[in-house]
Amino acid sequence: MPAEMERLYAERLKRYTAAMRNEKPDKIPIRPFVAEFTAVYAGLTCQEVTQDYQKAFDAARKCAADFDWDAVVGNMVYGWSGLTQAIGLKYYAVPGVDLPVDTGFQYVEPPEDQAWMQPDEYDQLIEDPTGFLFNVWLPRVSDDVSPMGEPTSMRNNLSFLKGGMAMLDYFGGFGTQAAALRDESGTVSAISGILKAPFDIIADKLRGYKGLVMDLFRQPEKVQAACEALAPHLQHVAASGADPDGNVPIGLWMHRGCSPFVSPAQFERFYWPTLKQIILGLWKDGHQVLFYAEGDWDTHLDYLAELPERSIVFHVDRGDIFEAHKKLGEKFCLSGGIPNDLLAYGTPDEVRDRCKKVIDGVAGNGGYIMDAAAIMQDDTKAESLKAMTDFTREYGVY
Amino acid sequence: MSEEEKLIREPGACVPWEEKRKEFPEICGDEELVKRTWEDVDALGYMYIWQCLLSF
Repeated sequence: MPAEMERLYAERLKRYTAAMRNEKPDKIPIRPFVAEFTAVYAGLTCQEVTQDYQKAFDAARKCAADFDWDAVVGNMVYGWSGLTQAIGLKYYAVPGVDLPVDTGFQYVEPPEDQAWMQPDEYDQLIEDPTGFLFNVWLPRVSDDVSPMGEPTSMRNNLSFLKGGMAMLDYFGGFGTQAAALRDESGTVSAISGILKAPFDIIADKLRGYKGLVMDLFRQPEKVQAACEALAPHLQHVAASGADPDGNVPIGLWMHRGCSPFVSPAQFERFYWPTLKQIILGLWKDGHQVLFYAEGDWDTHLDYLAELPERSIVFHVDRGDIFEAHKKLGEKFCLSGGIPNDLLAYGTPDEVRDRCKKVIDGVAGNGGYIMDAAAIMQDDTKAESLKAMTDFTREYGVY
Repeated sequence: MSEEEKLIREPGACVPWEEKRKEFPEICGDEELVKRTWEDVDALGYMYIWQCLLSF
């Protein structure tokens, strides 16, 4: 690595990790979660970055080299369709196949009566989560995997072979990408490992949101037991992918626990206990978690405040970042708070005004990372992102 | 449900070593090495299905 890049990387890593420990670094770190924005900026289509992950990696590195960012994710257009097609996954709508080439990939939730897990199958999931996924769930979500007891096929066999090989190839590519980001632009890879709350997994990939909401009333004990059964597995997977050096956090992608998807009482009973248990377990083992809290989580902030100091970084999307700072700022670093619609439709001056307001309101004592409110897709304007970046660099100096 | 399906699968395992061990009448060499190798590769299968669920 060139000496200049080595120096820059060390400087950025120190800045980023200091903020995440809720300390005051030399400057406010900038860590934008840019997804399809990278395609537009690099002159590519959404189809290209979804189907050709090397192009997605290249686009992410181009952005990292052109903008003065401290940390990025190697590829936020995470759902590489080469892999999802190898497995035969049904729930992806892919640009250039199911969608226009300039529309980002989408998850498709099946109708309630065709949910990937039926309402009478909780006991199977609870008894043996891994067995349920292999034997029941995977054949349902894949066009190629044969259901248990039915004749197998070449497509069935190929799905495991190609899916496994593709997954190793893709995950290995992230290691190469992290090294290239470091060497080419001195940029830190922002997160390592993945976590989702048990409740979110049931909503996203098993029962669907509507099905799960009905279950909260019709069979709440089963939902609780399923969350408890999933929790140790989700913690294990999260720890397996965590940064061995303990520098960067595990990414937690939070969807269905926010307002108005569930009530505060439902959050307290169903969402929080097992997620809290996982976070405490990970923190005990030295792993910090980035709560990427999509939507509005303001009604749940008191629960988050129960967690040990510095155990999480809390990212604010549609909630009130100033309220989050009041309730959590003493214990945790915050990130986000710059609305995506402003970055898509606002002027650079409006972006700068918002950045100033957020920095003045929450970043005075450190413990803040500049970022948009949510993952930036193809509607984010480059001039807005440049305004956010340049203003933070000029104004966000301690 | 078959016997195989009634296994207790702890996090990180698809086919636990205790179950696989029954298929070997005798291991004349280093059993710990056989066990570790089995579990390391078995963990890749575990990671495959859980990453399908979580990441894709």
